Amino acid sequence: MKKNKFESEGSKEHSFAVALPAVLWQILFLYLPLFFLIYISFVKTLDYAVLKNLTLQNYKTLIDFSYFKIISRSVALAFFNSLFCLILAYPIAYFLALRVKRLKNLFIFLLVLPFWTNFLVQAYAWFFILDNNGILNKFLLKVGIISSPLHILNTPLAIYIVMLFCYLPFMVLPIYSSMTKIDKYLLEASSDLGATSWQTLGHVTLPLSLSGIRNGFFLVLIPSFGEFVIPILLGGGKVMYVGSMISYFFLETKNVFLGAAFTCFSGFILILIALIVYILFRKLGK
Amino acid sequence: MELQGKISLKTRRSYRRGRAYLLPIFVGLVYLILYSPIIVLIVFSFNKNPLSFKWYGFTFDWYKQLFSSVEILDALKNSLIVAFSSVFLCITMALFYVFYGVSSFLNRLMVIFYGSLVAPEIVLAVCLLSIFTFFSIPLGLTTLIVGHTLIGLAYVVPIIKSSFLEMDYGLVEASMDLGATESQTFYKIVIPILSPAIISAALLVLIVSLDDFLISFFCAGASVLTLPMYIFSEIRSGATPVVNALSTLLLVVSSFLILILTAFKLRTRVF
Repeated sequence: MKKNKFESEGSKEHSFAVALPAVLWQILFLYLPLFFLIYISFVKTLDYAVLKNLTLQNYKTLIDFSYFKIISRSVALAFFNSLFCLILAYPIAYFLALRVKRLKNLFIFLLVLPFWTNFLVQAYAWFFILDNNGILNKFLLKVGIISSPLHILNTPLAIYIVMLFCYLPFMVLPIYSSMTKIDKYLLEASSDLGATSWQTLGHVTLPLSLSGIRNGFFLVLIPSFGEFVIPILLGGGKVMYVGSMISYFFLETKNVFLGAAFTCFSGFILILIALIVYILFRKLGK
Repeated sequence: MELQGKISLKTRRSYRRGRAYLLPIFVGLVYLILYSPIIVLIVFSFNKNPLSFKWYGFTFDWYKQLFSSVEILDALKNSLIVAFSSVFLCITMALFYVFYGVSSFLNRLMVIFYGSLVAPEIVLAVCLLSIFTFFSIPLGLTTLIVGHTLIGLAYVVPIIKSSFLEMDYGLVEASMDLGATESQTFYKIVIPILSPAIISAALLVLIVSLDDFLISFFCAGASVLTLPMYIFSEIRSGATPVVNALSTLLLVVSSFLILILTAFKLRTRVF
């Protein structure tokens, strides 16, 4: 009996040790580096006097109008991209969840596909549409809406267009899944009681899909704040966004300390904005 | 009066029917815009003229060049090494975590796996880069595998965990009661039962790893190139249709994997 207990104790330790790596991996390569990043944002050099050299110098350097402009540009991009995505995504999710009957799986699959494919490839594909000799300009010239090609590539407009369509599935899918959970009888009851389809939309569907809207909003807002590929490729790299600024610090000037401070500060702003949006959604839900 | 009512109802209905086409047209238009760049990209990967946006004729040349380029084949090799290593590491660690961690406090630490999904990818990349440089770990395939495994775990652990919880735990108990050791139960009972979840999780990590650019861009260093990194550098230096061909192939591979994944998901209802 005693031996048996001893054995099971031993196997418990063994099983703990075997279960640990997954957790350790996350701690070692995500949480520890995160603390490390915050730490180096408060020092100017790395040495072994760990807590003595703490300084706010890096953050003081960041108090500059140009950095302020970059961060607010990314904030605007994140916010408006989420908003535009929502405007475009809501009718699509509504259509997929409550209207379409045939080929529903195909429609969903066609949305999931860009969700998982490479952003890089998608961004590159837009070159062929937006270029001065691209499909869009050719089409508009032929129809006669414009007389000379529009210069869209390498402007903020190009960034906004491509971001909108790249992030669209991130908004549609959560709204769609929240709409499929709506009880169909509620919608029927609403129309039986004399509500028009717009009234049903406003008073039943919209409040019940608010959680999906919120999830989608965060799914678009957070990654588009730090988006790196699309602004660099389609914006021509002329205007800096938070993502390109971070990579500039870390990969080009190799000023890790200032880069860390910039990353932490932008992260702080992002958390602040996410919090504000979260509170707004809670107010809307009431 | 009654007639008038009927007419108005009829006109209202037809008015409604007219409006009912607006939504499908809108959705169709958005899908068209969503897919037109990709379609054009694929079409131009077969275009004879390398510089112009004009169609000059059909050719397979770019695909031939693709498979004869040493640089691309090397990038492909790197991408595959990283992807399969990450899949192996993610699945093994997640299975061990879910099965052996079920009775300890580790079980309640699920939240920590969501961290890498919530944070913007560039923050993860920068964190990894700074810790690698601090410990002077040379950047290369190893650091890439570390990064990809980190994001992979965030997908794999929840999938395997949820299907483990759905599994009849009586089977594990029965196996142990009948004298199987913990590891025998793990290999002979748990893994076969969880195999649908394991396969879809593995496919997901494969897709994520093959398509990942940002983590690779920061953690690969100067010597190692993966396929997305190659595409990025080519686009920045003025792309040739070879990049179109490569992008097309990458799209085909990911679509194929996603197709398997969704077919699998519909059949087994893993999620």
